[in-house]
Order: sequence, then C-alpha cells, then structure tokens
Amino acid sequence: MSLTDILIQQLVNGLVLGSFYALVALGYTMIFGVIKLLNFAHGDIYMVGAFVGFGALSLVSGTIGAGWMGIFVAMFVAMIAVGFLGVVIEQVAYRPMLSAPRLSILITALAVSLVLQNAALALTDGQVTAFRTDLGFGGVSLGAVFVNYTQIVLVASAIVLMIGLELFVSRTMYGKAMRAVSLDKDMCRLMGINVQRVIAVTFFAGSALAAAAGVMAGVQYGRIWYFMGFLIGLKAFTAAVIGGIGSITGAMLGGLILGLLEAFATQIPHIGGEWKDVFTFGVLILVLVFKPTGLLGKSEVERM
Amino acid sequence: MSKRLTHLAAAATIALAASGAGHAQEPITVGVQVPTTGSEATYGVDMKNAIQIAVDEINADGGLLGRQVEILVGDSACDPQQSVNAASKLASADVAGVVGGYCSGATLPTLKTYGDANIPFVITAANSTKLIPANPGNAFMINSTGYDQVRKAVDFFKSQGAKTLAIVDQGDAYSQDLANLTAKEWKKAGLEVTVQETVSKGEQSFSSLVTKIRSEGADAVFWTAYYADGGLLIRQLRQGGYQGIIAVGDGSNSPKLFEIAGRAADGVYCFSNPIAEFLPEAKQFIESYGNKYKGRSPGPYSTLSYDGMKLLGWAIEKAGSTDPDAVIDALASADGEAWLTGPISFTDKNTLARSNFIILKGEQGGWTLHSK
Repeated sequence: MSLTDILIQQLVNGLVLGSFYALVALGYTMIFGVIKLLNFAHGDIYMVGAFVGFGALSLVSGTIGAGWMGIFVAMFVAMIAVGFLGVVIEQVAYRPMLSAPRLSILITALAVSLVLQNAALALTDGQVTAFRTDLGFGGVSLGAVFVNYTQIVLVASAIVLMIGLELFVSRTMYGKAMRAVSLDKDMCRLMGINVQRVIAVTFFAGSALAAAAGVMAGVQYGRIWYFMGFLIGLKAFTAAVIGGIGSITGAMLGGLILGLLEAFATQIPHIGGEWKDVFTFGVLILVLVFKPTGLLGKSEVERM
Repeated sequence: MSKRLTHLAAAATIALAASGAGHAQEPITVGVQVPTTGSEATYGVDMKNAIQIAVDEINADGGLLGRQVEILVGDSACDPQQSVNAASKLASADVAGVVGGYCSGATLPTLKTYGDANIPFVITAANSTKLIPANPGNAFMINSTGYDQVRKAVDFFKSQGAKTLAIVDQGDAYSQDLANLTAKEWKKAGLEVTVQETVSKGEQSFSSLVTKIRSEGADAVFWTAYYADGGLLIRQLRQGGYQGIIAVGDGSNSPKLFEIAGRAADGVYCFSNPIAEFLPEAKQFIESYGNKYKGRSPGPYSTLSYDGMKLLGWAIEKAGSTDPDAVIDALASADGEAWLTGPISFTDKNTLARSNFIILKGEQGGWTLHSK
C-alpha cells in the first residue's frame, strides 16, 4: 500500500467509526440542549437498541431474511421501541428532578445507566451475543483501498438519519419548539409551548438515533453485549464536547473528527493503536482548556 | 484399675467413632474459581459444569475419605480485582482445595491469596508463563504453558512459508505474554515481526488496525487473546480485505468464535489444548455432559477441568486427609495419572511435564483437527 492508499483507507475507517460516534453524540447534545443534562445513560440506550434490534431481527429473519431488508425493519423497530424507552426514562427518572440541583439529576443519570447495564447483564448472563446477518464480506476495491458494502450502507444510513434530524429540527414546529426550549424554557411556557412534550420528543429522537447506531454496530461488528455502551458513551460525549455541546452540527462534526483522529492515531509509527484512546481523551482535555465551548458551541452568559 | 482403663478405652472409642461419624456427614468443600459472568463466562460455566460432573462421579463412588464432596463457586469474571475477591471468599470458606483458574491475568493475583492461606490449587486452564515464577508452591498447572504454545505456533507459521508476522494481544497477562514470547522466538529465527499491537478489551472497531496490518504487510496474523474480541478481529480482517494466514491462540478455541466471526473464521487456525471432541477418551464425558446440561457442549477447557477435579480427589485420597501440606505433597507426586487429557506429572516448577497442544482449522462454522 502506498502512503496515499493508507491515508485514504484510514479516512474511510475514520468516517465509518465517526458516523457511529456522531449518531450517539447527537442524542447527548440534543438532551443537553433542552434540559442541560449530561445523560450518562445514553451509551446504555445504544446498547439496549442493539439488543432490541437483535430481537427484532431474529423475529423477522424467518419471513424476510436477515439481509438489508430485515436489518432495516429491525432498525426501525429498535428506533421506535427505544425511543419510547427514552421517553419513559425521562418521565420516570428525570422529570421529577428537573427543578432539583443539576448534580442530583446527573447522579440520577448515572443510576439509570447502571440499571440498564445490570438489567442487560442479568438477562444475558453477561455473555456475548452473536449478531448474525446474511451480509457477506464483499466490497469495492480502488487500488489497494478496500471498502466493504456494509460500511457504505451504514455510513449512508447514518447520513440519511442526520439529514432527517437536521430537517426535523430546522423545518418542523417541534424542531422550532425544541430550539426555543433550549434557549429559554420559562419564556416558552409563557408563550404557550408545551415544554414537557418538547422534552419528551427530544428524548424520543435522541434515543432512537442511539438505537439506530446500536443496531448498526451489531451489523458491522457481529457481536453485542451488555457493556458495549460504556466506551462509546464516553467517546460520544467527547465528540459532543469537541463539537460544542448543545450544537447539533457540532455533534456530527465532533463525531467525525474523533473517528478520524482514532483511525490516524493507529497509523503513527512506533506508537500504534494502544495510544488511540490517549489521543481521543487528550483532545477532549485540550478542547476543554482552550475552547471550552467546543468548535461550534456558543458561549452562554450565565444569568444570575 | 484395668476395669477403669477398659472403660476409658471404650469411652474413647465411642468418642472417636462419634467424631468419625460426624466427619462422614460433613462434606468436603472444593472451591471452583472460574468466570461465570463477563465476556469469558461461556468458558467459565463450561468449566464449572465439568467439575460438577467429576464431583458427581466421585460422590457416586462413595466420595473422598468416606465424605461427600460439594463445590463452592467463586466468580473471577476474568478480572484481577474480582478474582481476588472470589479467592478470598473461597479461602475464608475453608475449602480443601481449589480447581479452576481461567484467564491468566485474573489467576495471577489469586496465587498469593491461596498461597497465604496454604490451599492446594489445581489450575486447569490459565497457562501464562508469568504464573510460573509467581507460584508459591501450592499451585499446579495441568494445562501446557505458554512456552509450549509458542514453539507450536512458530513452527506452524514457518511451515506455512510465512516470513512476516503481525501479532495482536489484549494487554492482559496471558495474551501479552504469548505475544511477546512469540515475537522473541520469531525474531530469533531471523524473521520479521511487522506489527505488534495491543488492543483494549471490548474494543469494537479494528478497521484502522487492519489497515495498518495491510500497509505494513504480514504473511500471517496471530491473535493471542480471547474469542469474544478475536472473532471480531478475524471478521474485520476479512472485511477489510486481508487475505493472509490468520491463527488464534488457545484462548479463542470456542465455537462461539464462529458465531461472531461468521464465515470469516473458515480457514483460520487455532493452537489449542486438548478439546473433548478430539479426544477418543472423552466420549463418555461428552455424553454425560450433554445429558446433564441440555443444549450445551462441553467447550474447550472442560476436559482439563474434569481432570483437575479428579486429580485433586486422587491427591486427597492419597494424602489420607485434607491437610493442605499432605495434599500438596500428593499432587506433586503425581506420576502419569491419567483421566481424559493424558498422563499428568509435574516438573519441579509444578507445570505439566509434557506439551498437549494440537492445531485446529476452521471449516464450515466449526473446528476440525488439522494436526496433533
């Protein structure tokens, strides 16, 4: 492989990884946008999404097979089901805490994370579940660069979902309301916006995106387990912070940057992949030090 | 006078008999240290089940020293901290011995726990060479050690005409040890290691590593760690267009590897300790396992675990008591005792005196014997 080939191949790897991070980061950033909560259960929502998708795929694979058709049906089912799970979590765990100090609700989020993780641990006996599909290993070769068909479809689906979200937020009434709520909740209430419902819709959308990413991860990697949400949760959080937490475009950008950083870090001579997490979280620290609002975040004046 | 003596003797006899009878009712507890949760739980539960079968057989034959045997499980979770907790639990339960030990990284710190408590420990799976110097003398390894596997691996890659090798481990004692020793032997043979990398456990994406392996060039890739992530690497190597030889260490010889890797695992080689289905002696064992644990197959470490329990039982009988020192002496004196996996005798470092590695090849979603 020539240097150009290597760089292009790593670029592709980074884009695939980055689109997973971006999908999960979007949920972080949207939820932070509306209720200023770092939803640490978000990585586990992604994990639950993968398991629901797995269950749905097992159910439909008998009739429509476990090819792309079945996978998209499973992904759709997972997005709806986990979207509602997100709403339930919001209603049960976060809504009563909204007026409490921010630290309390953050701790609640950690508790929700542990509940989901341990429930999955108990249900699966801690075992790795194989996520089987009918997809092959074919792909496109451009010189020495090789791109798998699965990767192409997954990145395309991620892009479609992100465009869908962008349209939802910028063109619909709920999107407008969501942006308004993130600016000023009290004013929204005075203007007759149903703030509670807007928050619920935000949780639904964020959780559904995470579920989609979870199913994609199952398809791409072929393996799901109860702990799969932990690291990606941290990394998606990092992506959201790099992009500017609260900013939707920022989350997408942050996800891609993080994916690319990891891919290229692996290739650095004499250092290697052991260090890629050091790079990732090192970048998080640098961003926090030099541009705490992230690349696209706006600085917010704290009102007293 | 003589009458009184007779009385005393009679009383003593009755007391002795009573205490003997008391012992007969009190079972001997054997500790089982395996991961029953976490990513390696499949192997751990297989091992526990195999030990239970050995115990059932021992009990059906009248137990040990006339006492029944029962097991107490400590979940090591393949994690150094959890395994020390599990070991402390077993040690404080006053077990007569411990059988098990899977994941060398999680077994290593427990050597001290059992050493301090002076509990005989038969290690049935973990085989990192790092365990050897850390053994206080009470532990016995009945699986071949990493050295035997390294020799087998290097010879195999050479015989396949490989000149360059990529080695990937997971940073735990077992896989890193195997990787480093293989790299050393490989370089000693005048050949080149192009990539040697450690990946973190639970990592999902290996695509950038695959690109690195392809760009640096490697005739063969050797994964030295466990199946859960190994299946993932194999899958992504093939997805990413790598076409060379792929081989995995004995931590990856589970059939679950095929579930995760799918068709990508066909043609993959595995250096393995003796697996039940390839051992003619284990036919009866596989049958009882299938009968007792419906829907499960014995898995790769179950024969060794069964043998480990039988060996401990043999040693307790030979020692004539559960006194730790006597049992440890009895274990050390094992001289070709054989159950399923072949004769067991120990070197002066308490490791198995012979190599028991075989080479398997993935074909149509399962392992077949490639060579012994």
